[in-house]
Amino acid sequence: MADIATYLKALWGVSVLLKWGLLGLLLIRKHYQVFPFFFIYVLLTALQSPVLFASYRMWGFDTPMSGNLAWGTQGLVVAARGLAVAEICRRILGMCRGIWALASRLLLATAGLVLVYSWAVARPHWQAAVLNCDRGLELAIAGVLALVFLFARYYEIEVEPAARYLAVGLFLYSCISVVNNSVLEKWMWDYARQWNVLRTSAFDATLLLWIWALREELPETVSKPAMLPGGAYRQLAPEFNVRLKALNEHLGKFWLVEAKKD
Amino acid sequence: MSLYFYLFFAVVGLFLLLFAWSMRKGRKPGSLPADAGNTEEYGRGHVAHLPQVRQALAVADFEYLSLKAPRTLARRVRQERRRVALAFLSAVREDFQGLLRLAKIIAVLSPEVAAVQEFERLRLTIKFAWRYELLRMQLRAGLAPLPRLDALSDFVSSISVRMETAMKELGERAALAAELASSLHGSGGDVT
Repeated sequence: MADIATYLKALWGVSVLLKWGLLGLLLIRKHYQVFPFFFIYVLLTALQSPVLFASYRMWGFDTPMSGNLAWGTQGLVVAARGLAVAEICRRILGMCRGIWALASRLLLATAGLVLVYSWAVARPHWQAAVLNCDRGLELAIAGVLALVFLFARYYEIEVEPAARYLAVGLFLYSCISVVNNSVLEKWMWDYARQWNVLRTSAFDATLLLWIWALREELPETVSKPAMLPGGAYRQLAPEFNVRLKALNEHLGKFWLVEAKKD
Repeated sequence: MSLYFYLFFAVVGLFLLLFAWSMRKGRKPGSLPADAGNTEEYGRGHVAHLPQVRQALAVADFEYLSLKAPRTLARRVRQERRRVALAFLSAVREDFQGLLRLAKIIAVLSPEVAAVQEFERLRLTIKFAWRYELLRMQLRAGLAPLPRLDALSDFVSSISVRMETAMKELGERAALAAELASSLHGSGGDVT
């Protein structure tokens, strides 16, 4: 146990360094102009460390006051994280106005559904409420990012490397957090230290990925393609679908011929 | 509790799979088929080979061959016919994918899209992919007999004519979309 505690302290130290390093990089490269919400999120995580450190020194590690402060600041960080995710989604799909309008509705619906699901299956204990809320939000973030990349793949929209790596970091960290929180909920206190080690390790790895992704300067805005006139889609989309349906029917007939022969 | 507990892992696993699948490197994003700009030729590539396909699938030829030629030759011809059927299936898929890509480009370049149309296209794509793979596997494994050749021949004719008509109708508009798409992808590497 003492080994884990030492290891955890070392991880926290690395984490603080990486957070401030990333914050510095965001400021020096002026990435806060490109990803303002992501900047706020990193700023909050960086500020969270000294606040928690001060509270642990003042009230002790296992006191309700420290616990409340830790979860309270975590709530703020997760909310900022949600905004950062929305910003990255917009960066990826926003230049395609029509697709973005459709995708944003779907993303909101997905996030809502995942949150409702997480809340519905959560333990009915108030102690676990914050943990469940955190897990629900992380699961919603993972779902939203998976859906955004599905959209990008389906419509063959190229994702710039920086946005891609930021999204990968957010996604993987969210997945690890969901698994970790679920395990913590089941074996609450027996697992607390390991939970901290895993969470901090995952976050350190994510910070490293973000630092690598943001090492170079980024274009402030992505160039937007010239749009077709509004009526073109209304006229063409149904026609294309009719043609695709016809091809499908022909293939179906081909298949039926096969089936009859069988 | 236990079921819900494991469901969380399942959901995370599903998200991970979807995410990994969508991150795979595929075709260069937004790149059009080589002949997309030339709508006269687009969709007609397979029509041009229709007489040869018909000849390859003619019933009379095969019956005559079965009677007159040695068994090994008949078997070889049968294999060749299977190969033709597979190539034809692949050509139908190319037609489908060409149309699908143009439809997607139009959606990407439109200021507003209809969810109904997009989901309908997705449904058709999944249905087509399923049928195509099923047929291809059956033909490859030799589990399915070769299709009745006259039916296949009629199928080739009808689809070619319909595709040709469709492409003529959509030609000008598709050319516009292709032009816009090429201007989109020629506008710089930072275009996401």
